[in-house]
Amino acid sequence: MKTDPTFWLLARASGLTAYALLTASVLAGLVLKSRPFGRALKPSSVTDVHRFLALLGLGMLGLHAGSIMLDATVKMPIAGLFVPGASPYRPASVAFGVLAAELMVLIYGSFSVRKRIGGRNWRRLHWATYLVFVLGTAHGLFAGTDSSQPWARNLYLGAVGAVVFATAWRALARPTRPARPVPARPTPAPARERSA
Amino acid sequence: MYRIVIDGSLCSGFGDCADLAPDVFELDGHGKAVLRIGTSVDAAVLEAAAACPMGAISVVEENAA
Repeated sequence: MKTDPTFWLLARASGLTAYALLTASVLAGLVLKSRPFGRALKPSSVTDVHRFLALLGLGMLGLHAGSIMLDATVKMPIAGLFVPGASPYRPASVAFGVLAAELMVLIYGSFSVRKRIGGRNWRRLHWATYLVFVLGTAHGLFAGTDSSQPWARNLYLGAVGAVVFATAWRALARPTRPARPVPARPTPAPARERSA
Repeated sequence: MYRIVIDGSLCSGFGDCADLAPDVFELDGHGKAVLRIGTSVDAAVLEAAAACPMGAISVVEENAA
């Protein structure tokens, strides 16, 4: 064996895993918003899962970047990992990944400065997650060397399909904005509890 | 009329409630949601309860006596 393939295998596996975790986190976020499972899922637990998946995804991104740098198959300077377009290998496709990763770090980190930037701005920034997902998908498809494999195509197709479906569900269901208020019931005392 | 209860142990200060129903909810100095009034007739409180990412807001519908 000429070169040790460990880092190359690790780079591909961690990249795909990071993408899967990002997708799962996006789905958890959408489940949190549209509550398709009603009371079966506690919102606080879904929020925890949503954030934890994102954190795991960021960890995987670190592993992805680190193993790409240490691997000899693709010669990647450190600048290529942080500066969009600085990669000698497929500069545009890698730039998508760099931008997606930096944006994801920003969105994840924005949670801790939420008070300073205000809830409204924080939620606006959260919309950029869709951009992260689109950039991440493009990066995986065009920079990834497994993209021609049927299993990889199925992974991307499944991820995009799931996010599109969950987004459509969120847009159409809109349970956070009830169309009409619940009419008051004639009986006294607590009539029913609406917890959400 | 809606009676509103905030579970302070769950609230993480996302602030969605204060944005959706600013007459009823506000964030205190620690960034946690507190009630400005205990009851409201505004259906926005239902929206706020449903939007809370932590599920910290309960709304009990009561008959106005």
